[in-house]
Amino acid sequence: MKLFKKNIPLAIVLVFGLVSLASYYVPNRMSEDYLEVMNAWENIVSAFGFFLGLISLFYAHYMKIRKKADGWGYSLFVYIGFLMMVIPAIISHGKQLNPDASLTWLGWAFRYLYNPLSATMFSILAFYIISTAYRSFRIKSLQAFVLFVAAFVLILGRIPVGQMIWDWALGFTKVTAGEAIDWIIGVPSTAGKRGIMIGVAIGAVVTSLKIIFGIERQYMGKD
Amino acid sequence: MSEGMLILGAWIAAALTLFLFSFLYKDNPFFKVAEHLFIGAGMGWYFQTIFYKIMIPKIWEPLNSGDPFKMFMVIIPAILGLSLMTQFIPKISWISRYGFTFLMGYSAGMAIPVGLATDFMNQILGTIEPFSAFFSLTPWQMFNALTIAIGTICVLFYFFFSVEHKGAGKKVSNIGIYFLMIYFGASFGNTVMARFSLLYGRFDTLVNYSSAKYFYASAWIVVGLTLYFLAEKIFMSAKREISQ
Repeated sequence: MKLFKKNIPLAIVLVFGLVSLASYYVPNRMSEDYLEVMNAWENIVSAFGFFLGLISLFYAHYMKIRKKADGWGYSLFVYIGFLMMVIPAIISHGKQLNPDASLTWLGWAFRYLYNPLSATMFSILAFYIISTAYRSFRIKSLQAFVLFVAAFVLILGRIPVGQMIWDWALGFTKVTAGEAIDWIIGVPSTAGKRGIMIGVAIGAVVTSLKIIFGIERQYMGKD
Repeated sequence: MSEGMLILGAWIAAALTLFLFSFLYKDNPFFKVAEHLFIGAGMGWYFQTIFYKIMIPKIWEPLNSGDPFKMFMVIIPAILGLSLMTQFIPKISWISRYGFTFLMGYSAGMAIPVGLATDFMNQILGTIEPFSAFFSLTPWQMFNALTIAIGTICVLFYFFFSVEHKGAGKKVSNIGIYFLMIYFGASFGNTVMARFSLLYGRFDTLVNYSSAKYFYASAWIVVGLTLYFLAEKIFMSAKREISQ
């Protein structure tokens, strides 16, 4: 049983990992075809992975409704929201626009249901980011001050009031707020970002090698 | 789409937007309804995307093509995908490893060249490229190129733990911290501004939907929510008085 439970899955990782890696560096028709097929396979398996999550979510909310847990009534809206997107999608065959560029039912559901919800949910974070920063961030060192200045210039320099303040206070330097922001993003921030990205790339390569050679196998779960 | 449906859509969009914003005052049933609708609608959106972009063209159509090779090339990933579903049956959940290991193997194999090409080589190239024509640069460009190169090296040294950071090494890693702080500050500023940009968009939509064309949707919903919160406050204080 160990063969089926452990050895074959590890062999699958090793084979697909090494062949995919080699295919990227071998300029050959066969390797190109292989990557194309594997990309399609990955899409298919990932799609089933999504269904796994979807069923799990539905099951969790079904259990909440069944047990009449606190706030179980809200769980019904998960199903309502799902159906409000899927039914229009089926009617519109997955298309958002008609040939005459008018909205289909799916386009309507996206514009008036999904889009306001997602955009508002993420825009609310603006308040929380600011309030959290205000409560937790204290300038106790020069390093914290540098972080504050970079953030302050970027936030204030992008709005008209900030540009007016900049011109009033630092206008004599002949450097505009926009130019200062471009320099911060393009030079010192890029240096910090590059250091992190190079480190992340090395980390990703090492982790990938550990996965391929079966050193890292937490994704297999217990047993 | 009829004019009536567009007006109905405006009312729904304005209501959902305001329901979510109402959380800024306090947690309430309207927010929870909108929050749960968002989860469901989000899953619905991805479901239909996967259904029409993957399930039909990449599974259903090849299976019905009559070509045995195409069918075979779909059956294998479909079986691997279906194996994931055994997660729901604890006794045979180990079968799901076949699907997961395929995903992990392929993703790990692809992550190495992609990571090396984009995050590793390109970043090094971007750092050293200005030095190939260094003396044709203006003094300001030279300063910028040197700042990026020195900053990148200092940041990398900060993350390099194989040698103890003391003496000159400590100074180099300290300089790295300043570059990191500028990056974090800039990232924070950009994130805040991106969120605010979304916020302006939502406000703009609400203002738009408060026009006569949409029968003052936003205004009526704001009035409704305000009345709800007032009624709730009065009811709660009356309840508290009775219990005392």
